[in-house]
Amino acid sequence: MSTAIEIDDLSFAHTGADLPALERVSFRVSAGESVALLGPSGAGKTTLLALLDGRLQGWSGRVSVLGAPLDPDLPPPSARRSDTGFVFQEFALVERSTVLRNVLNGRLGRMSPLRALMGSSTKHDLEIARTVLADCGISDLAERRVDSLSGGQRQRVAIARCLAQEPRLILADEPVSNLDPARAGEILALLAGAAQARGATALFSSHQPDLARRFAQRIIGMRAGRIAFDVPTSELNDDATAELYREVEPIPGIGLRAVS
Amino acid sequence: MAFRGFGGFATSGLIAAAILWSFATTDVELSRLMSAGPRIADFLGRMFPPDPTVMAEIKKGSAETLRIAILGTLGAVILSVPLGILASETMVSPAVFRSIRTLLAFIRAIPLILVAMLMVGAVGLGPLPGIIAVAFHATGMLAKFYAEAIDGVSRAPIAALESAGAGPLVRLRHAIWPQMAPVIARDTIFRFELNLRESLILGIVGAGGIGFYIQTYVRSFQYDKAASVTIAVVVMVMAIEAINVALRRRFT
Repeated sequence: MSTAIEIDDLSFAHTGADLPALERVSFRVSAGESVALLGPSGAGKTTLLALLDGRLQGWSGRVSVLGAPLDPDLPPPSARRSDTGFVFQEFALVERSTVLRNVLNGRLGRMSPLRALMGSSTKHDLEIARTVLADCGISDLAERRVDSLSGGQRQRVAIARCLAQEPRLILADEPVSNLDPARAGEILALLAGAAQARGATALFSSHQPDLARRFAQRIIGMRAGRIAFDVPTSELNDDATAELYREVEPIPGIGLRAVS
Repeated sequence: MAFRGFGGFATSGLIAAAILWSFATTDVELSRLMSAGPRIADFLGRMFPPDPTVMAEIKKGSAETLRIAILGTLGAVILSVPLGILASETMVSPAVFRSIRTLLAFIRAIPLILVAMLMVGAVGLGPLPGIIAVAFHATGMLAKFYAEAIDGVSRAPIAALESAGAGPLVRLRHAIWPQMAPVIARDTIFRFELNLRESLILGIVGAGGIGFYIQTYVRSFQYDKAASVTIAVVVMVMAIEAINVALRRRFT
């Protein structure tokens, strides 16, 4: 089975930060796998996902995404970025534009630069947009403006935009933590199902163990920038999860440290 | 707002002192005010009936005022794009945006009529000094609005388009512009309305437009003609307001 993500000894610190956001992280994800990153806020999940998406530079170690190594100092070329889709916690939609326009924005990296600039979609682009809108159950919202939608509907639009990219890898950063519990399960099921139907690899972060359990085959626990555990979902035990969320208390001048 | 305690007492005292000072030093003669009543009536009487023969002048003057407002607004837009960027918190260093904002506040503080008088002195009579004055004066407000439009752009959709493989120009076109365009359109229409209202009186100082006729007719005691022009101005202002309310509602 081919490898979708390969991380070796990855470390990263945000400029001006005292503690590294990621410290000696190593793991691999096979193509088609569905993996959850579990951990409290500040564990480094968001940083890791943004880095895999090619939006962070200045790290050390070796990282390969979909078989191609990432450059620690340069963003990847746009053709490669299209292969990796991203779903944001805060949806990251253009609020004043229509649902269809937002979904077509996912096609921009697949168009010729001139077409992308003009925003003139081909028949093929529109076909894909219609398909993903239907897959996400929002065909009837296509002409609505995003600022008139509910949170759950917005995240469906964001997932549709991600799917319109035709990604082989889907990264999702806390995709449901802005939604109520009923909506959260629904949206995560949609995301996981869409990834599986397309044979795409999925890596999503969550701070809710029960949601991670329901939708991932494998769970990677993170705490303070390090990998705490990496187990198949069936082997996840409550002690390890509890350990992940053990109280941390701030030490003046140093930041967050585990209480021993 | 409730006036309480010493602060409230001091505020009331200051307001009373300001009113008393104004009365005491302005020489408000009640007798003059009394005798003015019939004279004001006489004035209004001479305005009736308004003289309809000045339609040609009204048309010519209104068209010129409209042209001053359009070209003045165009000039302000051209100046406000670079100044708006330089006054934006998210585009340039604090030293730059603070000094540009101070400059804009300074420009806003100079009344339009004063700028127009200076421009008439510099470039002579006619609509040109009016256009320059409107462009200069309006930039003080419009550039500030543009800077706020730039600063109001949410970063998240820009990151999302970057993630989807869109280059910088494409991100500007599809993530930044759709957020800014309605705000900029609304602000520009609003400023155009103000420019049109304010340029109605520019003719009084010789800077072109319909104000020129008001000044001419009043000075030559042709009050019936001045009345017609005044009615035309009122109708124009009301029409502009109605049109702009309808237009602005489209850009939300």
